[in-house]
Amino acid sequence: MAQVTFLVKLIMRGSSKKVITKEDWEKRLNDVKIRKEDMNKLVMNFLVTEGFVDAAEKFRKESGTEPDIDLSTITDRMAVKKAVQCGNVEDAIEKVNDLNPEILDTNPQLFFHLQQQRLIELIRNGKVEEALEFAQEELAPRGEENQSFLEELERTVALLAFEDVSNCPVGDLLDMSQRLKTASEVNAAILTSQSHEKDPKLPSLLKMLVWAQNQLDEKAIYPRIKDLSTAKLEDPSAS
Amino acid sequence: MPSASPSTSSGRPADLVSRLASPDRGARLRALRELKNQIIGNRTKKLAYLKLGAVPAVAAVLADASDDGGGDGDGSCCCRRHDLLVQSAAALGSFACGVDAGVRAVVDAGALPWLRRLLVSPDEKVVDSGARSLKMIYQSKLAPKYDFLDHQNLEFLLSLLNSKNDNVTGLGASIITHSCQTSAEQWALYEAGVFQKLVDLIGGSVSQRDASLESLTAIIRNNHEVTPKILEFENGRALNLIIKFTIDKSPRTRLLACACLIAVSKTSSRYVEGIELESKLIYRLLELLEDPGQVGDEASFALSSLIEEKEDLQKLAFEANAINKLCFHLQNGLSCPKRLQGILLALANICSKLEICRSKLLDLQAFDLVSDALRHDCTDIRVAACICLRSLSRSVKNLSAGYFMNETVIIPLLQLLHDPSISVQLAALGAISNIVIDFTRRKSNFIHCGGVKLLAELSMAMDPVVRSHSLRALKNLTFLADRKCKEVVLSEITASSLASLIRDPESAVQEQALALVRNLVDGCVQSVDYAFTENGIILDAIGRQLQYASKAEIGIQGMYALSNIASGSKVQKDAVMDQLFQHGGMNTQPFIMRFLHSNDNQLRTASIWVLINLTTSYCPGAAGRVLKLRNAGIILQLKSMTNDPCLDVKVVQKIYHLNVH
Repeated sequence: MAQVTFLVKLIMRGSSKKVITKEDWEKRLNDVKIRKEDMNKLVMNFLVTEGFVDAAEKFRKESGTEPDIDLSTITDRMAVKKAVQCGNVEDAIEKVNDLNPEILDTNPQLFFHLQQQRLIELIRNGKVEEALEFAQEELAPRGEENQSFLEELERTVALLAFEDVSNCPVGDLLDMSQRLKTASEVNAAILTSQSHEKDPKLPSLLKMLVWAQNQLDEKAIYPRIKDLSTAKLEDPSAS
Repeated sequence: MPSASPSTSSGRPADLVSRLASPDRGARLRALRELKNQIIGNRTKKLAYLKLGAVPAVAAVLADASDDGGGDGDGSCCCRRHDLLVQSAAALGSFACGVDAGVRAVVDAGALPWLRRLLVSPDEKVVDSGARSLKMIYQSKLAPKYDFLDHQNLEFLLSLLNSKNDNVTGLGASIITHSCQTSAEQWALYEAGVFQKLVDLIGGSVSQRDASLESLTAIIRNNHEVTPKILEFENGRALNLIIKFTIDKSPRTRLLACACLIAVSKTSSRYVEGIELESKLIYRLLELLEDPGQVGDEASFALSSLIEEKEDLQKLAFEANAINKLCFHLQNGLSCPKRLQGILLALANICSKLEICRSKLLDLQAFDLVSDALRHDCTDIRVAACICLRSLSRSVKNLSAGYFMNETVIIPLLQLLHDPSISVQLAALGAISNIVIDFTRRKSNFIHCGGVKLLAELSMAMDPVVRSHSLRALKNLTFLADRKCKEVVLSEITASSLASLIRDPESAVQEQALALVRNLVDGCVQSVDYAFTENGIILDAIGRQLQYASKAEIGIQGMYALSNIASGSKVQKDAVMDQLFQHGGMNTQPFIMRFLHSNDNQLRTASIWVLINLTTSYCPGAAGRVLKLRNAGIILQLKSMTNDPCLDVKVVQKIYHLNVH
């Protein structure tokens, strides 16, 4: 975080390209004061948003950082997410409705995607007849309401037309990534319904770091962070 | 209908509904849950279960479980009661979500008081469930109005807003947004301190913030007394907060904050720091237009409301490239009716006063898209397209260029005159009224398309506004029209109908009918003859109407019609003289005397024009008419008007004297 704040300050100054030594850089980095509590909040925000409930609980005890939502809601949210990831979409829908019936009632796109995922799972399990009936009864009316839903529905039903689905043009729907996509959409909707931001702050901060370094690259030679996992400062003279 | 959820397959929907009344609590609960999970997010199923009478059945479960005291007996029983309350409330809320018939059914089933009782439950989940359902209901226009003037209701509302529960405070705010309309209600809410609570909630969670911004807008709207008090509260804390949220992360919050500031700017513009904030609002709303969802749909409506009737803001919107952006969405937003309607209305508003805006829209080749929208399936879009067309046709330049008098525009517009919706008819008449003014020789196009016939028919409509609007269109069509056009108009509408329209019970209709006569008889002597068809039935009607006219507007149109007739031959002038005196009677003064004394400048001017045309010295019989007018004291009255405060009156008065002497 200190690195980002510092970088932005440097960019704003708009100096001509100059060389900053590692020593000088570290000295200046030390001048940027970041409160420990803010760092902790960032970590807690990450744990809560990503659903690491046990870690969040431990971190709360150890650091005294209070999460901004009731930790028990994380368990419910994770259960929904996991159900989608395992292909138990109907179970997931019931769980979301128990959590808050408004979510699917006011979010037609998410509701459609969950129903679409249900259809995909039926097709995956070779229940062709059930799949057709389900598409007709549940999904076709949604397609009538919305043109883009209709297109997605047609793409999904196309799965039934191929002998070897793994090699067909719409085969990506059967990938694990499709389940993950749907799961993260539900996860985001639940977080929003709990007045919580749907993305953790930490990754955006890293994105800002990368952006700021790219900007600064044009103006100065300085100790960059190349490896984000270690956050090690590279020596500018070495490159 | 086979069950659509194969894995929970448990028979037909009708069976499910009947199981809601099962004597076994467990069976009832299972049925409720299944019903709830089937209808959430699924409009088709909501409608299907509504038809099967599911709502009263669910409401009965709720009432039964609420009455069932609870607390006694074993734990599992108590637990089931809790579940029955939560599930039945959730199901009712879902029926009310997004389906008007559902809201009606829930209200009719008498579920509201039962849902309200859930709010005081010690069980947080029961409270949540009740509050969410009530919120859904109050988000619909069909929900019953909440009476804020009742003291107990107000207390209850405050208790909702003071709750620690997000859903309950959200419900309180929704009730205000739904029901606060009159200034008395706004005042009552202000005095009860509701707005302070709402300002506090703006700082709360996202849902609290959005709900309170919306309800603050409802309290501020059009209320000149309450608005300053709220805005000056704690050194403008509320205003600063609202301004801050116009740049919030959430598009919905930004839109609601903008809408609140628009309400402020329309009520007390001094608080929006002159033009600067309003210009920022225009930019914010144009950004929000990019949102693919509901926020983007609503942004154009907010923009419309901001710039409506405000030429300076329309110019700012033009400079902010609003027309390009709106036209871009017009081309791409055709799938969503709400968005299309909003964009057409926003374009109509931007183009309502400024020529540069109209030419910009035409340069962007968007005109065809607007005229295509006249044929759209959705009523609101047809209305919006008409309003947009009306704005575009306010331009003399565009009229002269003949953009409108062609079949691609006229035919769909005329078809809209048959529309079952009166609002569509009126909007179409509004556009037609402008278009038919046409300064070129294209008026015949309109006649060929059967326009005059249709307008004549509508001038006999049951609805008085439709009558007056169609007469206005005919009046505009006959403005500076050639004889052929006028003849078609008169033969379609007929002299006797026109005479009865002059005597219509509604003054707006009378005024337009007189104005139509005024344009019909304008011009050459042959035109003046129209007033004398069918034994002068029209002229007679004018004279009679003027005798009893109480409104200046009617006097003005009638006197100009007489003035045009008085510009004709000796016989025609004498006929006007007869009208001036014949209704006078023994003791009442001629109506022209009354008009010369009127406070209305235009009416005095019109009356003098009648006298000028009657007394033109080179016309036969002028001396006799002057004598008659002098004997009636009218000339004397006219002389006393030399120092009339109105310049127009003075000028025509001078012309008169040139005439007579």
